[in-house]
Amino acid sequence: MATRQSLARVLLALTGLVFSAVAAAQGAAAPEAPKPGLGTDYSENGADTCLVCHTEAWPYPIFPIFKTKHANRADKRTPFAGLQCEACHGPGAKHAATASKDAINSFKPTSFLSAGERNKFCLNCHQGQARIGWVGSKHEINNVACTSCHKLHLERDPVLAKAAQPEVCYKCHPKVLADFNKPSVHPVRFGVMTCSGCHSPHGSSAAALLAKPTVNQTCYTCHADKRGPFLWEHAPVAEDCTVCHVPHGSPRPVLLTKTPPLLCQQCHTVAGHPSVAYTSSGLPGGGGGGAAFLLAGGCINCHSQVHGSNHPSGVKLMR
Amino acid sequence: MKTATQLSLLAMLSTLSAAAAAAESASAAGAAPNLSKWQCKLCKFEDGLSGSVEVGGAYVSDSSAKFGEYNGLGDDGGYFIGDLNARFRGKDAAYWNVDAANLGLDTRSLNVEGGRQGRYKLLLNYQELTRFVSDSAQTPFIGTGGASLTLPAGFPADTTTLMPLAGTLRQVDLETTRKELGVGASWTPARAWQYGVNFRHETREGRLGTAGAFFVNASQLIRPVDYVTDQLDASASYAGARLQAKLAYYGSSYSNSDPSLTWQNPFTAPGFPGAVAGQLALPPDNQFHQLSGTLGYQLAERTRATADIAVGRGTQDEQFLAPTLNTTLAVPALPRASLDGRVDTVNANIEVNSAVTDRLRLKAAYLYNDRDNQTPQSTYSWVTTDMFVAPSQRTNLPYSFTQDKVQLRADYKAAQRVTTSAGYDFDSVERTFQEVDTTRENTVWARLATRHVDAVDLTLKYAYSDRNVSSYQAVPGITPPENPLLRKYNMANRTRNRGELRANIAAAESVSIGIQFDASNDDYSDSAIGLTSGQEFNLGGDVTIMLSDKTSLHVFGNYQEIKSQQSGSQAYATPDWSATNKDTIKLLGVGIKHVAIKDKLEVGADYTLMQTEGVISVSTAANEPPFPNLETSRNGLKLYATYRLKDNVSLRAGYWYEHYESDDWALDGVAPATISNVLTFGQLAPQYRVHVIAMSVRYKF
Repeated sequence: MATRQSLARVLLALTGLVFSAVAAAQGAAAPEAPKPGLGTDYSENGADTCLVCHTEAWPYPIFPIFKTKHANRADKRTPFAGLQCEACHGPGAKHAATASKDAINSFKPTSFLSAGERNKFCLNCHQGQARIGWVGSKHEINNVACTSCHKLHLERDPVLAKAAQPEVCYKCHPKVLADFNKPSVHPVRFGVMTCSGCHSPHGSSAAALLAKPTVNQTCYTCHADKRGPFLWEHAPVAEDCTVCHVPHGSPRPVLLTKTPPLLCQQCHTVAGHPSVAYTSSGLPGGGGGGAAFLLAGGCINCHSQVHGSNHPSGVKLMR
Repeated sequence: MKTATQLSLLAMLSTLSAAAAAAESASAAGAAPNLSKWQCKLCKFEDGLSGSVEVGGAYVSDSSAKFGEYNGLGDDGGYFIGDLNARFRGKDAAYWNVDAANLGLDTRSLNVEGGRQGRYKLLLNYQELTRFVSDSAQTPFIGTGGASLTLPAGFPADTTTLMPLAGTLRQVDLETTRKELGVGASWTPARAWQYGVNFRHETREGRLGTAGAFFVNASQLIRPVDYVTDQLDASASYAGARLQAKLAYYGSSYSNSDPSLTWQNPFTAPGFPGAVAGQLALPPDNQFHQLSGTLGYQLAERTRATADIAVGRGTQDEQFLAPTLNTTLAVPALPRASLDGRVDTVNANIEVNSAVTDRLRLKAAYLYNDRDNQTPQSTYSWVTTDMFVAPSQRTNLPYSFTQDKVQLRADYKAAQRVTTSAGYDFDSVERTFQEVDTTRENTVWARLATRHVDAVDLTLKYAYSDRNVSSYQAVPGITPPENPLLRKYNMANRTRNRGELRANIAAAESVSIGIQFDASNDDYSDSAIGLTSGQEFNLGGDVTIMLSDKTSLHVFGNYQEIKSQQSGSQAYATPDWSATNKDTIKLLGVGIKHVAIKDKLEVGADYTLMQTEGVISVSTAANEPPFPNLETSRNGLKLYATYRLKDNVSLRAGYWYEHYESDDWALDGVAPATISNVLTFGQLAPQYRVHVIAMSVRYKF
């Protein structure tokens, strides 16, 4: 209860902070500038107009795009087979004439265009496949822009590279970075597993944008040995792996939420050894009993088949 | 909530599309340009072959399974560094990309993609991944890695202390290696259509730990891992302006070369003459096939509907093992020779999103997940740990689950820089053969997002959930029964409060700050026995500073507490003991990059400190001392430099130091014979201090 009250107080204080910030923002609003807006006319010479100013010396590297798929002119779907730079950045005559950032789709977070408006340029070509469910997805509804994650001008988009992808996701999900630094993890920190191995960032009807419809179906893509069905199922295992495991990282071994026997004793309380309080007296030199239930694997020393058993005598998950 | 009601709700929302359509205005566009003047003369298209190759060597000072757990550097000594990236662009959109990485390590990979862009694509992937689990496990068993474990002379014995372990224990590495080979192709016959197929063949081989018992005498055992998993994805998709659709098939076939692990009982079993060997069932072969369809339809410019459905079937029919290896026991015949296990799954979702006005956006979604376990039920006579026939038979319980979930959400742009959001979720789960038939959870939440003059983004969210169960009763046929006061936490009444604050501050053009705070409290106030409450607190932050145009600094930190309380009853009555778990996890990272000589020399350093502490307290009337803390700490420092010798040749050098310590009372001081009735591996909590140096040369072509 004390925690709950502290939580309420912290949130109340934070709410005050937020509203102060809002009030300050509204109070500090500058006088209205001329309304920004995309032009309607295209430039005279297409990319040759743009690249006069946006040279190779431009602070943001422009030219690596010519090594990317978007610049493969033989593929008639690509920007450079059509409206070139303006296929994505919008009609550029107004920007070319004024050099105003408020006359072109810069794709920057500071753009006068909302994330949704910027994304439309991408979705014109990329609405299919995994993006069918983009609209209404958690990322879309929280104003994530395609360019928040994708870098179109780089030869290799980091978010599509196995070792580099997690860094992109951590920018908005720093807690996950902390999780993947814990002692027991899935090997994302080691560059051999990606976030998109389990999550569909462009939308999914499953919880946490999972790649498969349920948690378990997602886990089975790498842990097919746990799929079963088994003769003797362990009910929470069949229901949801996260009843006992956390997906990203844990200070406890094998991504467990707790270590046995307390983990198991949250649900197993039958008279006899499962209901006994195993205390520090069971540790080596502690002078008490219960070491077999506490040390090494704890409950797993005997009930090793916690994921289910297909043995006719595996009723107690011991065969 | 009845499905009909939910669908009516969606139907009502979809009618909003008419109003939304009326409010739409066609986007203005100027005249189409004269593309004949768009020569793209300044465009630097690159055809032909280009790429880079990197070769070198690395030296690892010490062997450590924990250090090398997933990075392929588990053994001391030298390693080859080899990486290759190549790209080819030819005529008529022909292209190839080749990426090979970590060629000298157990994490090597190769990815090849090519074809004619816009028409077809071919894929070839290969990935190895070795996981080192332990380098300190010891066992007297002979035949580790195989399906049959035997013992040398001198076994069995009454207790571990009487076993001849001194001359028979051998250290065995626990590790598995996955090797996955994938091939794929996609074909785009017309702009809107795409067909794709992808096949992956994975082997997983090695040794892992398990355990087996003869009543109260147990042994930690090494089990073989020799798995093959084949997975196939095939799809056809269409992407039109208003309608997008995808039809797909997913198949998974898993097979295990070792259906069982047999081990010789190292303990004497007085009174049970035949209990000399036991057999564990290893994971049975299984298959899963799933058809899925996804549909997206733009009802109007402001309103979109999506729906998807996946129908799957999983089967498992591995031949049953014998109920016992004990030939002295007379066990009634099995009711069937194999399980004929079958699970049917249906996962469906329908969703409508509408930007009703420029300020108001609504979303409604209905989700259905069903795991229908059609495995036949039979009654089995069974043997308790190969020692005696259990006095009562047991019928298998094929668990089924059905989830219905409704989500409603509204986002309102209250001002140019302020968006308020609120939502309601209803989540119902029905279960069979369990203590609770139905759990229903209602969640309400609110969120406020503001942006302060392009520099400060603040988001505040609060959610409250209340889960109620239909009724809680013992499951018929499960003996002995659980304490009637137990409430299993995944199906117990629960209230959950959760709050979150995020702030992203662009303090100056060269300084960005991120802060994230979240906290939650779970209260299982109706649970007398079992998990009774849980709390989590997390505070994280990061700062990125461009100290100059040559130097950048990144600092991040995170502090997390995870706490829970539970109760038990030794008297099988009301609670007479309680326990608390508190995990504290701290992370600090500092990274700096510096251009020492422009276009010549770049250097950098990364430091990471991770510490965890697990405090466990079990309180009984005996007032015994607390457990020692579970602790881990990892200090890591990486230094790296890249020196460009020529435009296309650079030298790379790196040094990596990592120090890891851990204390785990479940392992510390536990030798194979420490527990008289459990023959353990005697594993050690991981500790290491490893230095790695690496040098390589990179050539760009």
